[in-house]
Amino acid sequence: MERNSPARIRELELMATKIRRNVLDICMQRGGYAGQGVALADIAACLYFDEMRPDNNNWYHDRFVLSNGHDAIMTYGALAEQGSYTMEELRTYNADGTKVDQSPIEGQFGFEITAGSLGQGPSQAAGIAYAERLKGSDKRIYCLFSDGELQEGNVWEAAMFAGHQKLSNLVYIIDNNDLQATGATKDVLGVEPVPEKFETFGFGAKRINGNSIAEILEAFEEARNTADKPFVIVCDTLIFAGVDCIQAVLPNAHYVAKASADWQAGLQELEERISKC
Amino acid sequence: MLLTSKPVIDKAPFDHISFDLCSRRKDVMLMSADLSKYTQIIRVKKELPDQHLDVGMAEQNLISVAAGVSKAGYVPIATTFACYATRRAYDQMMICMGTGPNTNVVIGFTPGIANPARIHHQAAEDLGMIRAIPNATVIDPMDVTDFKQALDVAVDIPGLVYLRGHRGDTPVLLDDNKFKFELGKTYPLRTGSGVGIIATGHATQWALEASVLLEQKGVEHSLLHVPTIKPVNETEISDYCFAHDQIVTIENHNIVTGLGSLVTEIVSDIGRGPRITRLGIPDVWAPGGTLPYIRSQLALDAPSLAKKIEAVCNGA
Repeated sequence: MERNSPARIRELELMATKIRRNVLDICMQRGGYAGQGVALADIAACLYFDEMRPDNNNWYHDRFVLSNGHDAIMTYGALAEQGSYTMEELRTYNADGTKVDQSPIEGQFGFEITAGSLGQGPSQAAGIAYAERLKGSDKRIYCLFSDGELQEGNVWEAAMFAGHQKLSNLVYIIDNNDLQATGATKDVLGVEPVPEKFETFGFGAKRINGNSIAEILEAFEEARNTADKPFVIVCDTLIFAGVDCIQAVLPNAHYVAKASADWQAGLQELEERISKC
Repeated sequence: MLLTSKPVIDKAPFDHISFDLCSRRKDVMLMSADLSKYTQIIRVKKELPDQHLDVGMAEQNLISVAAGVSKAGYVPIATTFACYATRRAYDQMMICMGTGPNTNVVIGFTPGIANPARIHHQAAEDLGMIRAIPNATVIDPMDVTDFKQALDVAVDIPGLVYLRGHRGDTPVLLDDNKFKFELGKTYPLRTGSGVGIIATGHATQWALEASVLLEQKGVEHSLLHVPTIKPVNETEISDYCFAHDQIVTIENHNIVTGLGSLVTEIVSDIGRGPRITRLGIPDVWAPGGTLPYIRSQLALDAPSLAKKIEAVCNGA
């Protein structure tokens, strides 16, 4: 099956729906960063189930660096399908004493770095990419961070370094949801135009709808085919995209402390969508 | 006796220390932030270019890229001035390097008053900052021999390892054939009764100078060099302290949070110990200038140290 054939896209859309369901299920227990997890489900489906190449040990040959720790919920939703975590384990997310950290620490399975202090993932991913290339490895390095995180100076130090070193094995994925802790990113401190800024640092760049499987696959392909420079995919996303009934009431929820009645309806909506496939 | 009989001056210690290490260890990557020349990284840059990486004048990036390099199987040694490593990139040292199992070495050069540019270039608090990070290793070597051997050990220690570096005219005081650096170990450089002097890093050189004057004056004393600030051998330090009525600590660091604080914490945890006098940078902005000038201004020159120690000995 071709990587971006209609049938393959439908498969990945189904996977994204399952990831959304998992995210809601996990966050229904004690709240969490559900809006981001749901919004990033399409990216997670493409990344974990298409783009990153598997190794022979039920894990990945390529490497994923999560910079904004709170988006770990996306990874949890995906790894429940991949098999590294059970839903039972994941439902302890946000509980006292859990091993499923809201913002993971280096060493927790599936996470390369301690990700809670924003702006430090792009540099570490660039360091990994530099060293992997030096070793002669063909591993590709993917790093997810957010638009609000672009306000951290360390991100631009990393971009300058990655562009200067022409790290073509490095792909930055930016969750561009125009939302940060205290408001809209454009109101707190505007970061646009994001692709153009990275281009001036020596990156290939593409802005896409981060909730379109077809566009995500196309962007990953363009990144793979871009020589002599790193690549950034600026993914415009919407909080709770793909779960209409929750998005209608929580369109700007940076954090959800407690699930409301709409969540059960949202979960039901997703289960029905899955059962029809 | 651990000391050489005829000390010599090494004009560029880190050039040969780094070249020797990188020649033996192909997994070591030396990293700079536009200060390679000023930390005396010369031969590695020229002859082993794959083992040197300059990230430009960006210390947060230096530390976080280094942490990435370590996650791909290399042992990074991030080098810059101590003030930049610790103050500007403290969060990166703690989070990127300090929370995982990989070896991440950082060398802070021109620590304390070893830098002539006042305040902004003088890291008088670096030891205290890094020793407050759980599981971190902190080493303040006294001379070329100590520096070289400590770095050899550092590249095999898991987690964040912070060393203070020496550049420029640095004495070779310890005999490389008799001294063996071991993490946490303390080293008696002079035994005796009277005042017990505990020193680290550059300040051990100053303590040795003062020791000569004290001997001339007939003031009984001993001297213990403590290169490892963390993890410290508490038993060796407490045994030394409780063998004396008077302890003087000397450090090239603010007397708050450094060696003096460390020794005081160890003794006070036990209780009823000796009186401890902390000498170092007395919680003020140090002046700039030559090292002899700064030392004299802070009463850290040999005659001032000897005078103070003698006064302590006399009950002042």
